[in-house]
This record gives sequence, C-alpha cells and structure tokens, in this order.
Amino acid sequence: MPPLISLTGLHKSYFNEEVETPVLHGIDLKIDSGEFIAIMGPSGSGKSTLMHILGFLDRPTKGTYAFLGEDTSEKNDDALALIRATKVSFVFQAFHLLPRATVLENVMLPLLYHPGIAPSDREAYARKAIASVGLSDRESFLSSQLSGGQKQRTAIARALVTEPALIFADEPTGNLDSASGLQVMEVLEKLNAAGHTIILVTHERSTAEFADRIVHIKDGLIESDTRSHKRRRASADVKLK
Amino acid sequence: MHTTDLLSSAFTALRRNTGRSTLTMLGIVIGVGSVVLMSSVGASMERVILSQISSLGSKSMVIFPGSNQEGGASQVFAGHDSLTFEDIERLEQLTTIESVAPIVFMPGPVKRGREESSAQILGAHPNFFHNQNMEAAEGRLIDTFDEDRSARFAVLGPDAKEELFGESDPLGKEITVGERSFTIVGVTKPLGSQFFQNADDRIYVPLSVARQETGQKYASYITMLATDSFDIAFADVKGLLRSHHKIENPKDDPEKDDFIVRSSEQANDILSSVSLGLTLFITTVAAISLLVGGIGIMNIMLVTVTERTREIGLRKALGARPRDILLQFLAESIALTFLGGVIGLGFGLGFGFLIAIIVERFLSTYEFVVSMPSMIASLIMACLTGVIFGISPARKASLLDPVESLRYE
Repeated sequence: MPPLISLTGLHKSYFNEEVETPVLHGIDLKIDSGEFIAIMGPSGSGKSTLMHILGFLDRPTKGTYAFLGEDTSEKNDDALALIRATKVSFVFQAFHLLPRATVLENVMLPLLYHPGIAPSDREAYARKAIASVGLSDRESFLSSQLSGGQKQRTAIARALVTEPALIFADEPTGNLDSASGLQVMEVLEKLNAAGHTIILVTHERSTAEFADRIVHIKDGLIESDTRSHKRRRASADVKLK
Repeated sequence: MHTTDLLSSAFTALRRNTGRSTLTMLGIVIGVGSVVLMSSVGASMERVILSQISSLGSKSMVIFPGSNQEGGASQVFAGHDSLTFEDIERLEQLTTIESVAPIVFMPGPVKRGREESSAQILGAHPNFFHNQNMEAAEGRLIDTFDEDRSARFAVLGPDAKEELFGESDPLGKEITVGERSFTIVGVTKPLGSQFFQNADDRIYVPLSVARQETGQKYASYITMLATDSFDIAFADVKGLLRSHHKIENPKDDPEKDDFIVRSSEQANDILSSVSLGLTLFITTVAAISLLVGGIGIMNIMLVTVTERTREIGLRKALGARPRDILLQFLAESIALTFLGGVIGLGFGLGFGFLIAIIVERFLSTYEFVVSMPSMIASLIMACLTGVIFGISPARKASLLDPVESLRYE
C-alpha cells in the first residue's frame, strides 16, 4: 500500500517582481495513513508553506508530491479543489468560522462542495460530527456566541464532517488558553485513535508532544524526524464515529 | 455546488446585510418601478385613446376651422368662419362621403328650475348621431323631422342628465337654454371621453334651432363618414374645400389650408408615434436607472468581496472551485437585482393603481392596465444588470489565492 503522502525533492520559492525568495529547499518526507505527525519549526522556517502545499492550497515550485500514490503535480485547480473537498481538511489557529452562521451551518459548509454527499444527508453528517466533539447542545448557537475552545471544537467538527483521509491542524491551540488548548488536543488525539491521519503544525513543544512523530524544519529543510514519546493518550472507549 | 445551495447562500447573504442590500437595491427598485409605472400609465392612456378612436369608427373624420402651424402643431380656431354651410352642401354631394353632420355651438346657461348645468350645448344635425355611433339609452335621439320643423327638443348626455335630473325620469320634462325652453326627448348612452373631453356632459338640440338662436352662418365643426375608401374620401374633401376656399395647395401643405381634417386613421398614426416616443422615453429611463443601479451594485459587490476575503479563502480551503466562488457572488448580485426588480414591480404597479383610482374620477374610460411584456422585460433587464455588473467582482473573488485570503486582515 503506498504511503498517504510522499514528497521528493520538494522546493518552494516565492517571486516578487522577479526577485526569488526560496522557502523550501528540497524536502523528502513520507507520511503513512493513521499517523499523528507534528511539524515544528521557528517562525519563517517554512512549516506553514509546507502545510499549504501538503493541503493542496499551494503548489511546489519543484519536486514531486504523490498523494495516495498518485503524482499531483499535473492536476489542475478543479482537481485539487476536489481533493480538498473530499480527502483533506483544515483546522486553523484563527478558527475561520462564519460569525453570523450557527454551529450547525458552519459544520455543514464543507458539504456544499462534497460531490458524494446528498443535500438531504448533510444535516445528519453535520450532527454526527458535532456530537463527536461534544457540542450537540450548542448546535443552534451562532459561532460568535461560543468560547474560544468551543469555536475550535466547531472547526474540528467542520474538518471531520467530510470524513477526510487527512486533517491538518495549523497551530490549533494558538488562540486558546491552556485548558481549552488541552481539550482541543485531546479531541485531535481521539480522532487519531479513531483512525484519522493528523498533521499538526506548531511551534509549541508541549502541543507537538501529542503527536507520534515530530518533524523539525529549519530554513526550509528537515532538520530532524523523530518518533515522540506521547505525553498522554485518549481513552480507548471514546467513540468518534 | 447545487443551484439550490447557490440561491440559498445568495439570499442568506442579503438577509445578513439587510440595510446595505436595501440601499443597494434602491437604484434597481426606482428603475424597474418607473418603467412599470410608465408602461402601465402609457398602456392605460393608449386604451383610452383607442377606445375614443374606435368609438368614432374607422371611416369617421372631423373638419375643424383653423390651420396647421409650422412644425406640425395644429391650431383650431373656434368661431372661425371658414366652414360655411355652402361647404356642407358641396360636401354632401361627394359620392365618397356617406353622411355629413355640421355642429354649431350654442351658449348657455342650461337650467332646470334652480339646477344649473355646465354642459356643452351642441346644435347637431341628425346625421351626427349616426357618424358618432351614438344610441339612445332612454327615449330617442333628434331626427330629421325635429330638424326640419326646428322642434325645441333636447337630448341629454348621461352626465348632463345626472346633473339636472339626478335619478328622476327626464323624458317630457323641460329645461331652459338661455331664454328658451326645450323638452327632453331622450338620453344618450355613455360615450366616455373623446380627445380628453367628457362627451357625456353634453346637451344636443336640432342644428336648425341652434342656427336660429345664434344666427351663426358657419359650422363650429363638421363630422363625416366616408362611404368606402377612406383615403379617396379624405383627398376629395380636401380638394373640394381648397377649390371652394380658393386655396392653391398642389403640394398638400396643411399650413396653407384654413381647415383641419382629422380622422380616426390620423389619430391612430399620432397614437403610434406617441407610443413610440413613450417607449423610447421609458427605455432611456430604464437604461439610465439600471446603469446607475448597476454601478451601485458593482461597487457594493467589490466591497463585499474585500470584506469576505477570509471567507473566500476558507471556502476554497474547504474545496470550493473558482467556479463555485464565481457563481456564489454572481448569484448574490443577481439576487440583489432580482429582488430590487420585484420590489420595483410592486411599487410600479401600486402607484399605477393609485393613479388609476385618481384619474378614473376625471376620465371615466381610464382603467388600470398591467403591461405584462414590460414587467417581464424589466425583470429580465434587472437580472441582466446583476450579471453584467456582478461578473467583475465575482471573477475577482474567484481568482483570489486561498492562502493569501486566509491571512487577510
């Protein structure tokens, strides 16, 4: 079975009026399904750029990116959008919830773009995802009425709703207090225990320690790739799906 | 993204910005509203005029004393002596003319006891009723026998009857015109208005009586019916009058004549040109309003795209294709203009109805007309405005880079 993600000699440069700013200098990386991996690095190291490329929000300048064994470099924008709609999802530091929409409406949003889920099934999918993050009693609340932790759990439910192969979490605890941050990380840990592949981008060691594997990036190159000793593990009896 | 999702997303976005949406729609509301209102009023007026023309019949013509002025405007000279009774005798001899009916106006006032009427008094030849397609609602009309013996009989229009007699039966009763008494022998059926004058507020007396009372040697105007070919009769009448009045007019220049011939056919032509003018006017108003409204919509949609940059980034991250974003913003812009169009339609029809209620009091044949083609055209134009002015902001939104959009502050 091919790895979920396989990067070979991945480069990324930004161009501003013909001035090239290289960010990634040749990344080789393999990630298997079911892994919980943390990408760490200081500010400007290229970790966010790597996440955007891995999540099909951006394209590499050079190198190959095979997803589920298939090279993605020749895919057009619509094909990449389809992968985003069906196979990957994101949890952002800034939550990115629609402020005047309810929790249910926010969680249903990705289903608008999922070709495999009928409109009549959307509510059921969304309710299931909301229940899995423990927010069933907040379903009809506007996202602006939620606490920071609840907002991030709503964002996780939104990421879960399409049942993706891969979830990206970009500094998911960055805007939360430590108690809420812990809750969010526990939810991600449970998701991983339930079989979801999670790629966590963070600069906080304590957050990265929830992952099985930590990849350090520095100056656009992988500095280290180590198996981590997990700080805590979600209870096995939690049902997510 | 399904069509229902697009519509629901568009109307949700409008609902979340009710104040701004309302202001943005105003241009479209005014544009569509004014087009629908003007079309409705135009169609109502056209119907009034057409009913007046058709009540005269297609072979009917009227000759007034006066002349056509430079630029096409005509000037009827009331009291002008160009239409003599000798003209009438000659016109009666034309084989292309079926019947000729001169009219002589008589001064009032008209009284019945203490009741006074402002009705117009017409000394009418019996042919007049035939030429005008008039019938009696009660009693009878003036006939040749009344005319020949100068009987002091009068026939009332329905409004004159109402004014003088109310609900009571007028037949056999007397009224005074000036110092003379007249016996009522009939009441005509309603005619409505003719050329914006109330044709029901009239009193008809025999022409011979009116001539005796006024001593008038000329007709105030003449009505005629052509026997068959209207065009030939029309040319015959003009030729005869020019020859009798010694007017050299080989180029058929109406400015040189001392009479004006008006026909229902001409009225139709005038109506057509007025309709065309009105249509052009409405189209111009619509184009200007929709242009102004469209610019407003484009402006607001550009602001909306900027304000919702992060939402666009998010939607793209969640799997929206550029086409989905384009259609979403285009749908919002079309929803704005469609809703504006529907509200404008409501306002236009509402005002048109109000105007009809008011005008009906003065012009009994005026009725509220809904111009379906202009309503449909207005709505289509409004939606097209949404497409034309919404496409650029929607395209801008669809081309936004998702990463940059998510970072937008």
